[in-house]
Amino acid sequence: MLSGRQVSILLLVCLLLSLSGCWSRREIETLGFVMAMGIDKAQEEGKLQLTMLVAKPFALGGGEKSNPQEAAVWIFSSTGDTVFEAIRNGNSQSPRRLFFAHNRWVLFGEELAREGIQQALDFWSRDGESRRTVHVAVAKGTTASQMLQTRFELERQPSEGARGILNNAAKALSTVVTVRLNEFLQSLESPGVSPVASRADIVPRPKDPDVRGEVVEEVIGSSARITGAAVFKRDHLVGWLDQSETRGLNWVRSEVRSALLVIEDPGNPGQRIGIEITRARGQSSVEHVDGRFVARIKVEAEGHLGDTTAFVEPETDIWELLEKRMAQAIREDIYAAVSKGQKLQTDFFGFGSYLYRSNPRLWSQVEDEWQDLIFPTMAVEIDVRSQLRRTGLVIRSDKLTSR
Amino acid sequence: MRTDEEFTSNDLIQGHQLMALIFVSRLVPITVTFPSITGISVPQDGWIVMFISTLGAIPVVLWINWLAQAFPRRTIVEYSEILLGKIAGKALSLVFVFYLLLIAGITARQVGEAYTAAIMPETPILVFMGVIAFVAGNAAYNGVEVVGRVAETVFWIVLVVTVVVLTLPMNAMRFENLRPVLPGGLGIIVKETATSWIIFLEIIVSAMIVPFLTRPSDARRFSLLAVGGVGLVGMSFAAVLVAVFGVLTPTLTLPAFSLGRLISIGDFLERIEVIPMGIWTVSAGVKMSFFLWAGAVGLAQICGLRRYQPFVYPLCVLSVSLGVLLFDDVMEMERFSAPERSGICIMVIVLGFMTVLTLARLLRGNRTSGDGGEG
Repeated sequence: MLSGRQVSILLLVCLLLSLSGCWSRREIETLGFVMAMGIDKAQEEGKLQLTMLVAKPFALGGGEKSNPQEAAVWIFSSTGDTVFEAIRNGNSQSPRRLFFAHNRWVLFGEELAREGIQQALDFWSRDGESRRTVHVAVAKGTTASQMLQTRFELERQPSEGARGILNNAAKALSTVVTVRLNEFLQSLESPGVSPVASRADIVPRPKDPDVRGEVVEEVIGSSARITGAAVFKRDHLVGWLDQSETRGLNWVRSEVRSALLVIEDPGNPGQRIGIEITRARGQSSVEHVDGRFVARIKVEAEGHLGDTTAFVEPETDIWELLEKRMAQAIREDIYAAVSKGQKLQTDFFGFGSYLYRSNPRLWSQVEDEWQDLIFPTMAVEIDVRSQLRRTGLVIRSDKLTSR
Repeated sequence: MRTDEEFTSNDLIQGHQLMALIFVSRLVPITVTFPSITGISVPQDGWIVMFISTLGAIPVVLWINWLAQAFPRRTIVEYSEILLGKIAGKALSLVFVFYLLLIAGITARQVGEAYTAAIMPETPILVFMGVIAFVAGNAAYNGVEVVGRVAETVFWIVLVVTVVVLTLPMNAMRFENLRPVLPGGLGIIVKETATSWIIFLEIIVSAMIVPFLTRPSDARRFSLLAVGGVGLVGMSFAAVLVAVFGVLTPTLTLPAFSLGRLISIGDFLERIEVIPMGIWTVSAGVKMSFFLWAGAVGLAQICGLRRYQPFVYPLCVLSVSLGVLLFDDVMEMERFSAPERSGICIMVIVLGFMTVLTLARLLRGNRTSGDGGEG
């Protein structure tokens, strides 16, 4: 008869068998890390084409095996009736199991986006590997597949390069929208708001053999620029926002982290002053007054004098004028964005959702007409309070003399 | 009547351990599947659902303890025989033990489904269910003191992890999602409130543990604290889920797990959802061990045996079998938790059992007080 101690040892020995792993084990050297996904219409009618950007760890890492001249990613496409089928079909080309937990981007080609992307969305929230933190973007004027061929200086991984640009632009300019899948899916289903996504443009680069930076041998033929925003109505792409319009949207949504406003110098006509926005807050509400809907937008912004193109000595009257011009510039951004939204008949500001939250009963009466009839004609009142706080490390500009 | 003298002499737990047991057990459905959030028509009302059901659980706690205080050294199975007579008492207690077994089986299935759906889809669900049932069975076999100590340890870890999961997805939270409050009135959340309240009825398992408390009079205070605490955590969970997922909240099969997946601090602290998942699995193990222990003790007392241990592992097997056989698929499991399905049965079992015992106690009046007046 075995003693308790012997039974325990036997059990422990049996447990050793499980150390080799479980059914669902995934060895790192058998995985292909998909870093970005592009989705387009396939040539075959009704099918989707998926372009996957897979990291090549051996080209990225240091040590003897790494080769800095080798492309850091492998790009390939596969097709299918659904996203999942296209992914599974991709396994017939990939020697490693495609792994999506590190995917950073879901990029749609313009043609597919204009026809509607609902068919390509379900997989990303249903699948256990993919995450809702991936960025959603649309390739302007091209396919997602083409966009994924672009390269970046300083970053060998295009997905990281694009992410770096997005983060920098969001922090320094606020002329981009940072939209993650979770937010995008919510906008699709929430009452009174249309989704927006990041907009990616291809920027051709001159063929110059004198390539500087980290990429030694490879000539970067084209790069991607993340700027502006793609605007949807339900799941259909209906238009684009330029930089100023996108910043206008960000003022309203209180998502301006920093920005640079260039205004005309009040003391020197034709000259420019750059104002760096350091803090901004936007608040919106929708009211129903005398049978008409009015959107009220209130923005409070603070900034400091960034630079000037002419001599400026900030006296009190100039200071106040600068603040007024700063407010005017913000107002113009917002008007531009509102006009674009009303023209496209899509409420990407979410004015409808403000109404739903403040007056759900009234919302239920106007819900069906909101995007096409009410929002495009509604009045918008903008109240901007701007304050210029500092002048940087100098008070006035350097004065040029004739001596 | 006492079937095993060891129950009272050596195997005792403290009031705060009971609180930990109740808290952790009730938190499991919230952290694993949150059935009262899934399918809710107006997701921002989720925290109100939790609030009302918590309020509704308070009378149940008071009721259970009112019954138990008349027999402070006896389990509900024991005093049901005193109040109802041997045959009726044993018959009703058998149904009650089946209910405990059912909850243990559902808990095992929930954990298995969570792992298969989210982390390891290729691994057969039986592996997860079997492992958790085995571990829980071991704790139950070693007595309520072990179960209580594990619960006490897990309680703090669960609390810390829960707070972390509730605060770290701060970047993704939009608290305006919580408005409008009750746009459709209270009427449309009746079903979800009932689902949540029915889960609270599981607290009847505490009627098995009162005699094993060092001071049975602590049971009411600590049970109420546990219900209040879990209500607070449940409300916070419901509110944060809606702040993060908005209208999509009811579509999630594993809301708390999905919340953990959104944690991303400075592109550095991310992909940590497995940690809360692991901790919640441990808490599911505690819940299972609590219910298996209660079921085994109940069965031993029904059979008039001195030891409950021989029942533990067979009950483990039975609970896993129930968990597997009850539902063909995850949709069936979700439908099962609806008030009009299992809800009615559970209400009949729990509330019916308590009502019969209450009536018997009231009808017998003071004649029974001598039987239980041990402490």
